[in-house]
Order: sequence, then C-alpha cells, then structure tokens
Amino acid sequence: MDASMLYALRDPLGVPAAPIIFLLLGVLTWALHIAAVHVLLGASSLTLFGSLNKNPHWRRLADAMVSTAKIAVSVAIVLGVAPLLFVQVIYDPFWYTSNVLSAWWVIGFITFLIFGSLLLFIFYGLNSSMKTKPKTRCPGAMLAAIAFFLVVGFIMHALSVQMLKPEKWMEWYAPGGIVDASGRALHAYNFWRFGFFISLSAPVIGLWLIAYRRYLLGRDNEDQSYLAFVRRLAMPLISIGGIIALALYVGWMATLDQNVASFALSFWSIITVAMLLLAVAVPFVLSKKLDSGFWGYAPFAVGAVALIVVGAMREALRWATLYGVHGYNALDYKLHMDWYSTLMFFLTFAAIGGAVLAYLLTVSWKAGQTKGMYVASPMVNRMGTIGISLLAVWIIQYFAIGLWVAYSG
Amino acid sequence: MDLIGLYPTWYEPGIGSGWVIGLIATIHVLFSHTAVGAALLFTYLAYLGYRDDRPELIDFIKKYGLFLLVFSYILGSITGPGIWYSTTVGSPRGISALIHNFVWKWATEWVFFVIEVVGVYMMVYLVGKVDKATYLRIAITFGMASFATMLAIVGILSFMMEPGMPNWAEKGGYLLGFYGDNTFAQLAIRIAFMFTMTAVVGGIVVAGLKDQVFKTWLARRLAVLGIVSTIIGISLYPWYLSTLPAQAQIVMENRIPDYYGTAILTVLLATIAYFAFTLFKPRMLTASIAGLATLSILILGLFPGETIRESARKPFVAGEYLYSNQVIAKDVPGMTVKSEIPTLEKVGFTHASVFWPETQRDITVNNAHEVGRTLAIAACSNCHSLSTTGIRPIAGYFGGITDVSRIKTYLLGALATGNTMYMPKIPLQDKEAEALALYLASLADPTVVARYVEENSKTADAPQKVLPAIDDKKTTSPVARVNVSFPTSGLEE
Ligand code: HEM
Repeated sequence: MDASMLYALRDPLGVPAAPIIFLLLGVLTWALHIAAVHVLLGASSLTLFGSLNKNPHWRRLADAMVSTAKIAVSVAIVLGVAPLLFVQVIYDPFWYTSNVLSAWWVIGFITFLIFGSLLLFIFYGLNSSMKTKPKTRCPGAMLAAIAFFLVVGFIMHALSVQMLKPEKWMEWYAPGGIVDASGRALHAYNFWRFGFFISLSAPVIGLWLIAYRRYLLGRDNEDQSYLAFVRRLAMPLISIGGIIALALYVGWMATLDQNVASFALSFWSIITVAMLLLAVAVPFVLSKKLDSGFWGYAPFAVGAVALIVVGAMREALRWATLYGVHGYNALDYKLHMDWYSTLMFFLTFAAIGGAVLAYLLTVSWKAGQTKGMYVASPMVNRMGTIGISLLAVWIIQYFAIGLWVAYSG
Repeated sequence: MDLIGLYPTWYEPGIGSGWVIGLIATIHVLFSHTAVGAALLFTYLAYLGYRDDRPELIDFIKKYGLFLLVFSYILGSITGPGIWYSTTVGSPRGISALIHNFVWKWATEWVFFVIEVVGVYMMVYLVGKVDKATYLRIAITFGMASFATMLAIVGILSFMMEPGMPNWAEKGGYLLGFYGDNTFAQLAIRIAFMFTMTAVVGGIVVAGLKDQVFKTWLARRLAVLGIVSTIIGISLYPWYLSTLPAQAQIVMENRIPDYYGTAILTVLLATIAYFAFTLFKPRMLTASIAGLATLSILILGLFPGETIRESARKPFVAGEYLYSNQVIAKDVPGMTVKSEIPTLEKVGFTHASVFWPETQRDITVNNAHEVGRTLAIAACSNCHSLSTTGIRPIAGYFGGITDVSRIKTYLLGALATGNTMYMPKIPLQDKEAEALALYLASLADPTVVARYVEENSKTADAPQKVLPAIDDKKTTSPVARVNVSFPTSGLEE
C-alpha cells in the first residue's frame, strides 16, 4: 500500500478544524480512557482477590473496590468514546481498514463488553456487603468479568496494531489473491505491547489506593489498622507492578518492526521511561508526607501525567510508523474550517462541562465526606444554578439558530 | 492515478452484516430513548416528591434509577459506540461522512453524555444524602443534559436521510447539513415515542412496587403518559413523512412490504390498548407483562421502524451523495467533494479501487469468475447477500438464469446507466459486467464457470463471446421477462 493509496482513502470532506487539534485531543482523551481502564482492571482484580479472602480488611477493601470498578467501567466507556471519535477524524484510512478486516471481532468487542459489564453488575448485586458477610456469592462472575474485559482490551489492541501495518493489509484482505471478506480474523498483535498497557493497572491501582487512603483520612475516626493495611498493599503494587510494566515496555521496544526500531531510543521513549520511574518513586519519596495536607493525592496526579506521556509516546510511534515509514502525514488533512461548530464545542466543553461538572463533583465529594445529610452552602448552590442556566442557554440557542437556519427562507 | 477511496468490504455470508447492524441499532434506540425519557421523568418525580413531600417518589427514583443504570446507561452507552463500530465495519465511508461533517457536534454531545453519566450515579446514590434543593438541582441538571444529548444527535441522524437544507451541497458547512425540516420533524416524533418507551419500560419497575396505592398512582400516570405520547407520535407521522425527500417517498411506497405499515400501526394500537389496560387495571401489572411489552415494542415496533429508515434512504447511505456501496455519487461543491462516477466510468472498479487484488485488475477468461465475485462483494453486497440467507439475497433477483450474456446485458442496461431508481448507478466496464454476470450466473449453476472458460479459451481473442442460453423461459425474473428490464418495484422481501 503506497502513500497515494493511503491518501486516496481519506474522506474528501476534509476536517472542520486544524488536524493537530484532533491529534492532541485524541492523545489526551486516550490517556484518560486508559487511566480509567487501569482503575477498572485493578479494582476488579482486588475485588476478586478480596472476595476470596477471609481477612476483614480484605473484605472491606473488596466492597470499596467493587463500587469503584462499577463506576470505572462506565467512566472507561465514556472516556473511550472520545478517542474513538478523534481517531476516525485524522486516521480514517487506517482505523476503518483495520476495523473492517476484523469486523467480527469489532462486533465481538461490543458483545464481550456487554457481558463483562453485566457480570460485574451481577457480582455487585449478589454481594452488596462483603464487609459484613463472610461468604462471597459467585466469585466466578467477577473472574469472568475480568476475562471479558481483557478480551475487549485485546481486541482494541489488535485493531491499534493492525492500523500500523498497511503493507500487510492486502495480504490479509485477499490472501493468495482471493478476497476473504469475512472479517473473522485478528491479524496482528504484540503481546509485549498489550502486556505493557495491561500491567500498568498494578501501579495505577496502587496509586489509586494511596489516594483512597487519603480520602478516608479526611473522615473522622477511621480505623487506623485498615489504613495501614491499604498502605501496605499499595506500595508493592506500585513498585513491583511498576518494574514489571517497565520490563514489558523494554520487551515491546525490543520487538518493534525493523523499520521503526530506532524509536526505542527516541526522545518520547526515554521520557516515557523517566516519567514512569518518577511516578513509581513519588509515593516512596513522599512517604510520611502522604498523610499531611493534600499530598496523599499527589502520587495519583503524577501517575496521570505519566499516562499522558505514555499516550504521547504511543502517538509518536504511530507518527514514526505512518509518516516515517509509509509517508502518510495526518496533519496535512484537507481543512474545511467550520467556525460555528468548532467554537460551539469549545464553549460547551469549557463553560457547560466546566461549570456543571465542577458543581456535580463538588456535591459528590462533600456528600461523601459528610456523615449524615449534606446541606449545600449558598456558594455551591450558586454553582448549581449557574450550571442549569448555562444548559438552558444552550438549549435555547440550539432551537433559535436551528429554526432560523431551517425556516428563515 | 485514478484511485477512489473504497475500503475493504465486510461481507458476512451467514446472517449478513445488515442484520447485525440493524440489531445493534434497534437495541440502542430502545436503551437510549428510555434513558432520556426516564431522565426527564425522574426530574419531574423529584420535583413532585420534594414539593409535596412524598418520599415514596424519591424511593422510586432510587429503585428505577438502579435498574435504569444497568439497563440504559451501561447497555446504552455500550451499544451507542456499538453503532459506530458496527456501521464502521458495515459502511466505513458512511460513518466517515457523518464524522467528518459533525465531529464537533458529536464531541459536544459527548460533554453532555459525561454529565449525564455522572448525574445518573448521583441521582441513585445521593438519595437522602443531600438536602432537597440540591437533589432537585442535580435532577434538573441531569434531565437537561440528557435531553441535550438527543438534540445534538438528531440532526446527524437526519443527515443520513438528507442534508438539513437543500443548499448544503452548494454551500457546505455544518449548520446547513444539520438543521432542516426533517431534523425538527424527527426530533418531535422521537420525543413522543421516547416517552412511550419510558412508560413501557417504567412498568417493569412499577410492577414490583409493594405499596398498592402508590403502584396504582404511578401505573396510571405512566399509562396516561404512554397513551398521550403514542397518540402524539402517530399524529406527527404525516409531518415527518412530508419532510422526507421525494426519492424516499417513492422507495417507501414501492419497496417496503405492505405489512410493515400494518405491523407498525398494529403495534401502536396495541401499545395504546396495553396502556389502557394498565390504566384501568394497574394492580394487575406484573414484571413479566411489562417485560413482554418491552420486548414486543422492540421486535414489532422498533425493528421495522429502523428497517424502514434504513431502506428509505436507498440508494444513498448519507447526505444524498454517498451511495450504499460506498461510491460518491454526486459532486458536493460546498465541500469540494467530487463524484467518483466519472472515474469508475473511465477505469472501472478493477482499476480504481485501492483494495483490489493485483491479479484481478486485468480480467481474463480464467479469472473472470473470481473478479465477478470481488465485484459483487464491493459493489453489491452492502445491500444484497450473495448467499441464500441474509438481506435481499441477490440470486433471487435473477430467477435461476444462467445465461451470462443476458445478465450482462441487464447489468449494462439497467445498472451501469443508473436506471434502477432505488439502486446506485454502478458504472461497470464491459468486461466487468461480463465477469459479474458470470459470477451471478454461477450462483444458480456453478458449472457455468467451467463451460464459460472452456468456450472462451477456444476463442481467446474473442472474450466477449458467452455461453448459449440455458432454458430459462419459466423464470419470473425481470431479466428473463424482458431482455433488458428496469424493475422499479416488486421483487423484494
Ligand atoms: C474494559 C474495557 C476496555 C479495555 C480493557 C480497553 C483497553 C484498551 C487498550 C489496552 C488500548 C490500547 C491498545 C494498544 O494501543 O495496543 C485501548 C485503546 C483504545 N480504546 Fe479501549 N478499552 C476498553 C473499552 C473501550 C471502549 C468501550 C471504547 C470506546 C467506546 C474504547 C476505545 C478505545 C480506542 C478508540 C482506542 C484506540 C485509540 C487510538 O488508537 O487512538 N475502549 N483500549
């Protein structure tokens, strides 16, 4: 597949804003997506482990983690939609080809994700309070849920890798010159790469536990031995998990295709390793400080930044492959600037997204920290009213502009 | 080079990709509409609950909310991107057209979607944990965000049928593509039926209520909601139809089996009857009855509804410029998009397609059958199954004819010229038509291929020559009835 063919596959409609914007949003939202995936996988695994354990601390943790997992699956899905949108905008030739060539797996992705989520919810429904009840009902559901999530992630992984191999597409589509349109095969994967992305769940959930512990510290009379237990669990998850992830990363870099092998020692690759090491080190360096002020949240924040760097590295590799090897420049996409929809998005995102989410998250946070009924302060109430007013303005402008466009003659 | 950006095709011989997409879309319609409807219902109940101090209403929200969380948000939010994924594999350029026109609208919808998901968890988990006024604010925020997701999406859906305004093609741009008569008619009708679905699905939860007085009260409210919204929905239908493009009207008149209309009307009347039952006998409502009603709506109402919406826009798949078989059919000067028909007329699929086996770019007697198959996959299989099962099996249209030259004449006369109204113009080169004809003939009788090869290798320099006709006088196919015919109605389904 030469560059002219790749360019021919592009959508002739062009893109409605500078391509770089979509690229950056893609990297950023993918980092958020994968962070949620890590929390999901980590929390699910701890749930399973805790639910099979008799130790009361483990059981309490299992309770907390199944709630986390349940929300994390929603968040992972919602945050997955965003990179899914942006990847189609500037990488359409690659994304669509990769998907069509494994069409059944794409359908399987949806199906398995439904199974996994339902199983998670079933497990949650069956075990409303593991803390107080010694017996766990149907831990198999949780195990199966994790297995389905891993398959789902693997399908995403294969689609991402297939994108990067245009030189193989024709061979996959028409082996021996005969078209096979069944879409039944996954054609390319790299276990090191997949292992790296999945293994990051261990350090990420460790960092999450540190933050969880800090959150509990904010409440009155928390059980000190539970807090100590959480910490004892979190630290090795971060250190050992982090080392394993780095080892897999090295394996991935060592198995890169010949034509991009030099990426292993590139700027993005090195800074990724540095950031991951930093994220692993931070909780150990802070050590005692983790209990004071907001420091307990710092490690997760550093971890989130590290994941953004991982996302940027992943993008840089895609760039090195598609541009460096195949001559496709995602940034020279034809531009059909559309000011209205571009500005409308950013306004909605900043104003409504900002105001409303700030309100909702403030209320959730405060309610979680309050024992009994939380009564919002006038300040918080004002935030809520502002959010609602902005939503109303949005809805009004939707109809005002729409009716004007449609019926003004 | 004369290349056009056709992707590989996913062709599933068993059930056919069309059904898979239709299934996912239908399920998603149920989940998503219920989610929006329930969000608005929650907001209303939260308001009543706090205004009149009725804790049982708030309790209901908690109960229904938990169910809704699984039913609509988890499944709705999976099948939502699920539709993207399934249309991606079924019609990559179709979804691409929507994405490239409306990426920011979708991104905007995503903002509301995030709010909605955070909101639904808060609605469920903060019952009794925050003061009334705050809870009500959350409810209103949630309801509005939910409604906004629907607003954001509806113009994209109507673009699939036609661009919002007719001058979109000339001028381009998001606004003209998004807004139009059809957008608003569709919005109105969706809102109506959204409440119908909410009322039906809500019954599943109401059925489980222990407090009989409250159960009666709520079941009646939902019944009234259901009846009113269904009647409004039905009465909006003529308006909706009048906003459809002329082409779609004709397709609907000619190509949709009659029983579809009857089926849908029956379902709607049955829905009203069902609500009348729950209105007068609310205590007899059980979870299984409500569940059954939900399932019936899904199978009898939504599926045909989606199928009609799918069929009516044929031969286009988006914006009245992109054919179902992924070829760009018209110039869209406003977006500097050029029709690909001239390229196909010049060099054919075999030389214009990116994904074409090199060994099949030049057609010979020996590879003709294989090229024909590849052509059928690329140009036909989006709407026609190539096997005996799935959507509109193609063999059925040729009534067993095995006369290659006759089929070829038909292909060149009716398809290559674009004379079959609900089908794309498929500009086949002469040799391509012959290859495709050979493949189609072989569906009825595989031995045709060997004979074709044998006949034509003898006269290798006269590749146009084809096999003598095999008796097919008894067939009823359009091809057989007249040597070249232009069927505009009839055979389907
Ligand atoms: C449990 C569920 C999920 C898991 C475990 C998971 C895991 C992953 C992993 C490991 C990758 C990176 C693959 C690689 O680069 O090798 C990935 C990428 C991706 N995921 Fe997910 N994912 C999940 C759900 C979703 C959902 C629901 C969506 C969409 C709605 C989604 C959208 C994406 C997209 C679009 C990418 C690739 C982005 C790009 O190439 O730019 N994921 N996911």
